[in-house]
Amino acid sequence: MNDEFTGPAIEWARLWPLFAVFGTALVGVAVEAFAPRSARCLIQSSVAGVGLAVALVGTVLVALELPERAGGAARGDVTAGGAVVVDGPTVFLWGLLVVVTVGGLLLFAERRVDAGLPVFAGQASLPPGSTAGPGGPGEPSYEDWEHTEVYPLLVFALGGMMLFCASGDLLTMFVALEILSLPLYLLCGLARRRRLLSQEAAMKYFLLGAFSSGFFVYGMALVYGYAGTLNLAGVAVAVRAGGGQEVLLLVGAAMVMVALLFKVGAVPFHSWTPDVYQGAPTAVTAYMAAATKIAAFGAILRFLYVGLGDARWDWAPLLWVVAILTMLGGVVLAVGQTEIKRLLAYSSIAHTGFLLTGVLGLQASGDLAEGQISSLQAVLFYLATYGVATVGIFAVTTLVRDPGGEAGSVARWTGLGRTSPLVAGAFAVFLLSLAGIPLTAGFVGKWSVFASAAGAGAWPVVAVAITSSIIAVYFYVRHIVTMFFADPPEDAPVVVVPSPLTSVTIAVALIVTVALGVVPGPLLDLAGHAGQFVR
Amino acid sequence: MIAFWVLAPVMVIAALGILFVRKAVHAALLLAVVMISLAMLYAALEAPFLFAVQIIVYTGAIMMLFLFVLMLVGVDASDSVVETIRGQRVLAVMVGGIFAVLLGVIVGQAGIGTAVGLGAANEGGNIEGLAEVLFSQYVLAFEATAALLITAALGAMVLAHRERLVPRETQADRAAARVRAYGEHGDHLGPLAAPGVYARHNAVDTPALLPDGSPAEQSVPTVISNRGTGRPSPSYRDVDRVVGQLQSRRDDQDPATDTVVEGSGSAARGEDA
Repeated sequence: MNDEFTGPAIEWARLWPLFAVFGTALVGVAVEAFAPRSARCLIQSSVAGVGLAVALVGTVLVALELPERAGGAARGDVTAGGAVVVDGPTVFLWGLLVVVTVGGLLLFAERRVDAGLPVFAGQASLPPGSTAGPGGPGEPSYEDWEHTEVYPLLVFALGGMMLFCASGDLLTMFVALEILSLPLYLLCGLARRRRLLSQEAAMKYFLLGAFSSGFFVYGMALVYGYAGTLNLAGVAVAVRAGGGQEVLLLVGAAMVMVALLFKVGAVPFHSWTPDVYQGAPTAVTAYMAAATKIAAFGAILRFLYVGLGDARWDWAPLLWVVAILTMLGGVVLAVGQTEIKRLLAYSSIAHTGFLLTGVLGLQASGDLAEGQISSLQAVLFYLATYGVATVGIFAVTTLVRDPGGEAGSVARWTGLGRTSPLVAGAFAVFLLSLAGIPLTAGFVGKWSVFASAAGAGAWPVVAVAITSSIIAVYFYVRHIVTMFFADPPEDAPVVVVPSPLTSVTIAVALIVTVALGVVPGPLLDLAGHAGQFVR
Repeated sequence: MIAFWVLAPVMVIAALGILFVRKAVHAALLLAVVMISLAMLYAALEAPFLFAVQIIVYTGAIMMLFLFVLMLVGVDASDSVVETIRGQRVLAVMVGGIFAVLLGVIVGQAGIGTAVGLGAANEGGNIEGLAEVLFSQYVLAFEATAALLITAALGAMVLAHRERLVPRETQADRAAARVRAYGEHGDHLGPLAAPGVYARHNAVDTPALLPDGSPAEQSVPTVISNRGTGRPSPSYRDVDRVVGQLQSRRDDQDPATDTVVEGSGSAARGEDA
């Protein structure tokens, strides 16, 4: 032991967007404590907005200054004693996460869709169904209150996600996993309408999430037993050296993957997804569906590629099975759904399968053909297209409303294309993108992950992926057909005109979805420019 | 190794007990057994700091919090054993059992030799060694835990705290309102009579009698009078008769207060029967 302690070198120049995000959340907590209630919503959303803008600018600045490694194949630095790796994929994911969070923030602050009321519960501790406040009409009530804590919680979740996909050792990854999960559990339980469903969703997500965290810790301990270190680069060294108790590595890695696959909702661990997506406030669903998947796939990629890259032939067969099950399970279960949000939840499970197909495309960089898309590049691009379309499509679902809240049933959307072609059209474009129809971003994303998986020899998985895409097209297009080619019912739901907050979110998501379908080049290049992970 | 083989069965049995006992309090106490055994294992593995922290934080603080919560919920509270999804429990036990066997077999294959590196890790002191690790390679995770704790505190406030819409009514407020009501409507200012005072019964549904023999309606709790189960006032007309009897008896005999009271009591009882 050294007599003199030397602290780890923390490169603030690379990490400051992360700290800016955490700082923003802390400022939000302070605002919550000291600002008067009436001013809180405005202050909170502005603080979060400014914080996110700073984080976005910071991410770009950091990305521009990343040093090249390994002859240009990778860019970035390992910092904070190996705990955090800021490299090309990290900053790409950071940028994507911040953009998606901005979308989430705009939806959080929306007030016009629900007759001037916020989208979150006035007072979460009230029993569901209880009337607001003690008095009659004219008396003070909780009705127009809002839990402004949601803004710091949103920003905390973002901070956790940014740390999650940047973590260089399993311990940091675990702490980040909890930081991103805890705010999401809370946010799920704060829906203004249908409180019981929302509370049930939060409870389920929390219990199952805690269970999966237990798997992560156990797996982490076993991996430590094998490698003697929690650092992913250290694990990679131990794997390359071979020998030792290999079963510990295999079981440990499998258990860590259980927790990570739970977060993305892959099939044996997917059962929370439909309930939580349905019960959570739609603004939270939009944010969670997109951002959690982005962050968790960042972590999966780093864990498998950096830590277990040399044990590829051990984990790939298992991941084949999971990917196939996930795609088929997602689309087959989606066919029978009658609820819009459940339908989208199952479709998001199917997308997890497509992304896992992309993850299977890992090849040594020497094996890549000239000009071939690397699997990392493909998955990063797919995450971008999926994230943007998901935020957009959930934003659209907030607009179609019955007296009691959102019109959740698919049947209620019948004939929407005739009464409000704009909303139905936007919804159709997002559906087409999720289905992967050419000229939308989803097509390019799917094509790139399939191509990279096929390049790595995962032909059977790609065949299943194409089959499930075709099944998926069936229920997406069926929905579009009922929207445009059927008469609306007598008591058709109202399509509200949202404030610019939601409109801008939908419009931007729409433009990006179409633009990435027509000219995918720049973003694909950007994802390719991110290069490989830095060890 | 001896410590492990002694403690491991205790811990496994206690941990299984947590799953199978019905009462939450028993589960909490079994959890304490697991935690203390863990602490002893830490001590055997030359990790004195972890040993102390395990006892102080987990067994001391967290366990006590568990128990406090259980006391609030009710010590006898036990889980509902109704299955909402049929066959779920059997299936869960089967799959869980397969998983446990699988894990046991696989991990059992790994020949876990004697622990190495303990000496190196503890060289220069256990606490110093921990501090070195905590503040070098894991310093960021350590700091990030702060975000976790803040989120947890915030979440507890969001889910459990109910803010007041109107300020709490104090005793002074209530007194002022009473005097105001007296001034405006002439409402009774003092405390209300207790039910049953001067009446034949002292049950809560019997109004007190005013000195003139008429019932004081306000002395009956409003819940009872609203429900309509209070005794109707006409049934107290017999008070007049009792008073009359007393009067006549006083005329006949030498008046003695205590016998009068006794007499009225027995007369009332007799009539009631």
